[in-house]
Amino acid sequence: MSTATTTRFGAELRAICGAANVVDDPALLRGRQVLGVVPSTVVTPASADEAAAVLRVANENGLSVVPAGGFTAQNMGRKPAQVDVLLSTSRLRELEHYDAADLTIGVGAGWTVADLAAKVAADNLFFPGDPALPERATVGGLLATGFCGPHRQGYGGLRDYCIGIRFVTGDGHKAKGGGRVVKNVAGYDMMKLLIGSYGTLGVITSASFKLFPAPRQTRTFIAEFPGAAEAFQFRNQVLRSPLDPICLELVSPGARQLLHGFGSDGPWLVLLRAAGSDPVLARYRAELGSAVARELEGINEREAWRALSNFSHTVEERCPQSLLLSLQLPLREVGPILQQLATVSASLKHAVIGRFGAGHLLVALWQPSGSTVQAKAFADAIAGLRHRLPIDASIAVLSCPPEVRADIAWIATPTHVESMRVVKKVLDPNDTLNHGRFLF
Amino acid sequence: MNPAVVEQLRKIAGRDAVLDRPEDLMLYEYDAGIRKSTPGAVVFPQTTNQVSQIMRLASSAQVPVVARGAGTGLSGGAISREGGIVVAFSRMNRILEIDVENQRAVVQPGVVNLQLSEHVSHLGLYFAPDPSSQKACTIGGNVAENSGGPHTLMYGVTVNHVTGVEVVMPSGEVVHFGGKAAESYGYDMTGFFVGSEGTIGITTAITVKLLRKPEKVATLLAIFETVDDAGQTVSAITAAGITPAALEMLDGWTLRTIEAYCHAGYPLDAGAVLLIELDGLRESVEEHAEAVQAVCLQQKAREVRRAKTEEERALLWKGRKTAFGALGRVSPSYYTQDGVVPRSKIPATLAHIGEVSKKYDLIIGNIFHAGDGNLHPLILFDIRFPDQLERALAASKDILEYCIAVGGSITGEHGVGMEKRDLMPVLFTQEDLDVMAGLRNAFNSENLLNPDKLLPTPRMCREIFGAARNPVLVQEGM
Ligand SMILES: Cc1cc2nc3c(=O)[nH]c(=O)nc-3n(C[C@H](O)[C@H](O)[C@H](O)COP(=O)(O)OP(=O)(O)OC[C@H]3O[C@@H](n4cnc5c(N)ncnc54)[C@H](O)[C@@H]3O)c2cc1C
Ligand SMILES: Cc1cc2nc3c(=O)[nH]c(=O)nc-3n(C[C@H](O)[C@H](O)[C@H](O)COP(=O)(O)OP(=O)(O)OC[C@H]3O[C@@H](n4cnc5c(N)ncnc54)[C@H](O)[C@@H]3O)c2cc1C
Repeated sequence: MSTATTTRFGAELRAICGAANVVDDPALLRGRQVLGVVPSTVVTPASADEAAAVLRVANENGLSVVPAGGFTAQNMGRKPAQVDVLLSTSRLRELEHYDAADLTIGVGAGWTVADLAAKVAADNLFFPGDPALPERATVGGLLATGFCGPHRQGYGGLRDYCIGIRFVTGDGHKAKGGGRVVKNVAGYDMMKLLIGSYGTLGVITSASFKLFPAPRQTRTFIAEFPGAAEAFQFRNQVLRSPLDPICLELVSPGARQLLHGFGSDGPWLVLLRAAGSDPVLARYRAELGSAVARELEGINEREAWRALSNFSHTVEERCPQSLLLSLQLPLREVGPILQQLATVSASLKHAVIGRFGAGHLLVALWQPSGSTVQAKAFADAIAGLRHRLPIDASIAVLSCPPEVRADIAWIATPTHVESMRVVKKVLDPNDTLNHGRFLF
Repeated sequence: MNPAVVEQLRKIAGRDAVLDRPEDLMLYEYDAGIRKSTPGAVVFPQTTNQVSQIMRLASSAQVPVVARGAGTGLSGGAISREGGIVVAFSRMNRILEIDVENQRAVVQPGVVNLQLSEHVSHLGLYFAPDPSSQKACTIGGNVAENSGGPHTLMYGVTVNHVTGVEVVMPSGEVVHFGGKAAESYGYDMTGFFVGSEGTIGITTAITVKLLRKPEKVATLLAIFETVDDAGQTVSAITAAGITPAALEMLDGWTLRTIEAYCHAGYPLDAGAVLLIELDGLRESVEEHAEAVQAVCLQQKAREVRRAKTEEERALLWKGRKTAFGALGRVSPSYYTQDGVVPRSKIPATLAHIGEVSKKYDLIIGNIFHAGDGNLHPLILFDIRFPDQLERALAASKDILEYCIAVGGSITGEHGVGMEKRDLMPVLFTQEDLDVMAGLRNAFNSENLLNPDKLLPTPRMCREIFGAARNPVLVQEGM
């Protein structure tokens, strides 16, 4: 659809959202590119009803729509052929419900993660979502990317604490799943379908979450290991112990070079974060024994975890020509994969972090400075990794150099793809949302 | 049932693996809820391939099919359409793999919930979802209903413990969702399948998490003069920053009934008790146990007892877990509800249930998962008097509508099944339901697999609104 055609619908979109919330002046749109494609229109609905009306117009007229939150993770996927409507969630800022005594909250998709965390922190509660750039990343984007940060170890993933979701389907129907209570099996679990769907099944307009009591104090124990094998062994020792850390993070020597505050040189690190009273922390100290080189608390501790949460962003900033992979692995496979990284990416440099006690790794691969991007080296690395993974592991490519983009499979999954296609067909029958960017 | 179809079933599963005599079929007319309907045949497959062939047969013969685990479901989920095929999983009950390093087990759907935990106990592991029916119910049934239990407060319900499923689709195709990794990229079909009440496909192998047993457990019994005080305490405990492993409530009437039946040591003159369990690291359990005790006393608990030995602990739980058997002795029938409310609304909701009890002139006992606000009002009635059944149904509807009105749900763990589908439109808009029906129809296009469950149907149901669940059956089920 050409810009001119889209503009034809400009009047309709303005009638829905108000003139101020529909921007189609090309000069103003350049900053909102999706993988280099300038959208024809940016529409910012103020409610689920408005979002539904926008999608009905798009769906009926064959316009392609890309939902967008904080724009922190739009580097993923294939380059879209065109973006007729960029649907921004920034005005979906309603507080649907919040009662501290119930430990639940429901907010519009446009809330930033930092605002949500601050809101509940005032009542000594805790929201575990810990994406890169929380001041910009939105609740909708967090859910759509099914992101996984360091708190994954102790609090589970979004699928474990998102208790309700409202969304608009690709053809403009308002729908929901779950509700406001922590336990609920009425109807199909729509949360599960929308989480990690990368904006291909619906535009998430709001969501409800289970909250947790804020830990009264935490401490981070840092252990150093000469190689990945020893770090992996330490992980297994922790997983077999009665300890129950809230984070258990692996940091490779390459990652230490990229991250701020991790000493640019040195061996593998494991950071274990524990919450509890003095006696509980003393117990951790006793169990972990001599493996622990030092402890972090207070501001230093917070900074270290912030840096780890920001890893994906730091990689994009410091190595713009890098390939960033996210791996979900059975626990046993983590060790062997770490050891094989060096072989599959011989001509590339690599950095790894991850909540490896939960089977999640983020792997960055880049070429040594000075050399030009060789698509083949990256493609070979991905192929090599996939070849070594068991069939029930899965991979997502979070970002990659433009030269490599065309021939990458963005997601590898053990799940039956045809069944996923059936879901896509029901929720977005005309391929209106994020057309062609990810699986379909 | 068409004898040719029965013959085909025998060819697929074996001569001794099909029932079609009326006296045999009677045993499969009901689950633990209050409806019944007679199937045309019951088949006991032993392999995934047989299940696949059964699905193909059902499709070509246009006969409805329903999967069945142990039949302990409370919402009519496993009840067949009149004359349909029941696929019963009692012969697919093998534990296929215990993978200690990956903390996973792969099981067939007919494995009984508690058997898995017993099987891995010597490794220091267990399967966390623990429905009170865990001695009887199957993991296939748990997956279909997304079952909970007392300890799911801390550890999460079934969906939080299932990472992969093998599914036979209504077409007969065998597909896989997920695997041994905690999460998988792509749409979370595993999470969607869990809790779909057997309407999307039939699972033939399930990959579940195994957790490490906690090093320390503390079990407390807090005794209150009034239901209201106990209800207030539930929020107060959470407000103190503590998430117990389990937090169950029993009202006075219920605990007296149980005590007469199994002598768990519950106080006979209390208004209500909370059964509270804390587990984890020794140091934190001790602290939390003391903190919980202090909160209870502050909230006017008359007394807080702590189990000193494993025997004392087992006795306290025995009372909780044999409750349904105890009720079976005092009432010919009862109707178990499963509404959920935000936990701060528990006191008001219990007060409302008290009024409903008066209004409809029926005894209603309360024994429930208080920590998640998941109520189980047990409405006592006598099935021999049709007006009592009618009042029980009206009372139940009244309670569930109240739950919805305060921001809750009609079911926390038992599922919608047949019995609550007419309340779905109160909870969801037509548009919400259309989207769900779109998904159901896309996978189950002929609506032959567990038809007319979970979603409201415009069509009149043909099922006989039959006799109440037999209390003796439940007693055995415990
Ligand atoms: C696949 C993927 C995995 C990631 N994993 C991690 C991780 O493990 N750890 C980590 O620290 N960071 C991760 N990130 C990066 C990022 O920090 C988070 O995903 C962030 O929460 C994105 O939020 P945003 O508001 O900036 O979304 P945006 O960048 O604006 O959008 C990201 C994607 O979500 C879609 N989307 C946004 N809002 C909505 C909505 N309301 N409804 C439907 N779709 C919507 C967009 O169409 C787009 O596909 C990941 C990013 C991606 C793409
Ligand atoms: C005394 C008592 C206490 C209970 N306590 C609890 C409790 O604490 N928490 C709780 O959540 N529930 C509880 N229940 C309800 C019930 O036990 C659970 O719903 C249980 O999970 C049902 O398992 P089942 O094997 O008996 O399944 P069934 O009743 O046989 O079937 C239930 C549903 O599962 C489907 N199904 C069975 N196998 C498969 C399969 N292989 N593939 C697809 N679908 C399948 C059936 O079609 C049906 O829809 C209780 C019931 C009783 C009688």
